[in-house]
Amino acid sequence: MIRNIFCLILNDLAIAFKNRSVFLVIFIPLFAVLSLKLVDQTGTNFRPMRVGIIQNQTYPAAIINSIKSADGIFVLSEISDVEKGKVLLKERKLDGVLINSKSKRVELLVLKKESFQALAIVSGLTGLQRIAEVKSPNWVSGITPLYEGGMPEQSLPTWVLMSVLLVGFIMIPAQVAEEKEKKLLLGLLQTPMRGIEWLFSKLVLGMILTFIAVMLLHLLGGFGFGNVLSYILFLMAGSFCFSSFGIFLGFLCSTQASARTLGVIFYLPFLFPSALSEFSRKLSSIAPVLPSYQFFGPVRSILLEGGGLSDFFFEWGYLFLLGAVAYFLSNQLMKKRWLM
Amino acid sequence: MAVSHSEITGPIVHLEVNELSKLYDERRGLLPTTFRASKGELIAIVGHNGAGKSTLLKMLGSWILPDSGRASVDGIDLGNRTAFVKKVGFVPETPNLFEFFSVEYNFKLFSRLFQVPLSRIEEILKEFDLLSYRKNKVQVLSKGLKQRVNIGRSLLPDPQVILFDEPTLGLDFEMTREVYRLLKSIHASEKTVLFTSHRPEEIKTLATRIMVLHKGSMVFDGTPDEYFKSKAYKDLYL
Repeated sequence: MIRNIFCLILNDLAIAFKNRSVFLVIFIPLFAVLSLKLVDQTGTNFRPMRVGIIQNQTYPAAIINSIKSADGIFVLSEISDVEKGKVLLKERKLDGVLINSKSKRVELLVLKKESFQALAIVSGLTGLQRIAEVKSPNWVSGITPLYEGGMPEQSLPTWVLMSVLLVGFIMIPAQVAEEKEKKLLLGLLQTPMRGIEWLFSKLVLGMILTFIAVMLLHLLGGFGFGNVLSYILFLMAGSFCFSSFGIFLGFLCSTQASARTLGVIFYLPFLFPSALSEFSRKLSSIAPVLPSYQFFGPVRSILLEGGGLSDFFFEWGYLFLLGAVAYFLSNQLMKKRWLM
Repeated sequence: MAVSHSEITGPIVHLEVNELSKLYDERRGLLPTTFRASKGELIAIVGHNGAGKSTLLKMLGSWILPDSGRASVDGIDLGNRTAFVKKVGFVPETPNLFEFFSVEYNFKLFSRLFQVPLSRIEEILKEFDLLSYRKNKVQVLSKGLKQRVNIGRSLLPDPQVILFDEPTLGLDFEMTREVYRLLKSIHASEKTVLFTSHRPEEIKTLATRIMVLHKGSMVFDGTPDEYFKSKAYKDLYL
């Protein structure tokens, strides 16, 4: 039995190389790391806000002096007129333009009201105003972030989820359906190999490809592993669950093309609500219903908050249980030679 | 005209099919069918499209599961698939090989799964005149050569019964003759061969026994001489 499984896994890996699908596993980490490097270069880390003032306008001296004295928070530059200011904002060469308003106040022109830049300028000016008017110290004495690290570390759980789902919902169903479509599976079932051995080899293939993708992500991006054992156990549970699910989807399709379509139909709803749950209250209430969130949440905690398997034992068991159900259903479909 | 065939079957019965059936719907499939095949028989299964020919072979080849009935080869039951597949080789009408890989890779993979020694591959390559193609990828081979590889692969475990589903479908004259030669050589090694066909000349050239299926039922079972004089033949071709 083990000999057959080993033989089939090697055959599956050889197929993945031959039909180039393994490149997807390599491409995702490469793309992720490259795009994160580009994001870093444009600067999500702190940098002074670039603020423009109009040359022929008279601004309250207190404001301008405070801004000029707050070196490191603002970089002040003079521009000819408001129109020029709008152009520079659109070109991302300025973060905001101060326009003289009535009395001792200024109006702020920004690209978007709900932007990080607008918030940073307003809070910077508020702080300067407090200092200038010698008011009581700021209510917030300091900021302690829940998640350590910059943008690349923050987005790592999303990339991990993306890799696990990519293998599970895009690659595995297509390979299963291809073997059905070309009658290769029936050919293999003409040998003494058991159906369950074939299923197990596909499962192991999915888990191997997932681990390759995630390891590449970590190695290329130089990311840490958090609690290594918990992380590995969750990756195993996640890849087992979604690869099993992928095999099941592959069995529901008679052709490779339909398997790809069905895979995408599952891939996106599993990915986005979980990955974006932090940014939306509505999504954060919907996402826990999805199995992908039961993987994403713990992985995020393990990688960013120092969480461990003991904190997420229910989620871990849930993923294994769901994977086992999908595996069982796939076995039933195989026994019935479903759409073969 | 369902005919018992005890007078044709030889003394050693290889294949026994008893009330085997598979219905896809009310019109398509195979109704309960019973027959026995002896060592060294070359049986042609003929009939219109949808008569149940391929269904019969696919059930015996473990491609589809029967609704009811039994089949066995040398006492090994169809339900015992892992043992049965070593006794029965099935050659589908379209070669189902790993096309990305070489002829030798395909043979090696299946010989490992069949747990036969690698020396068997050399025998098959030689027997089927494939030695010069062993390193070639299957996808670059001609249709005839692919069929040869397909037949060779099914013979790896040295099965006692070989099933061919439309073995010459889509092949040119030369390749068809090549397949005939292979079928005759397999038959000469005292194996039981069943093949489906639409071609009267093919049946005449090869078969030692003919079974006719019509709408899922066996309507004739006899020798080629009997067949070409029968109503079943006239209904089918004339």
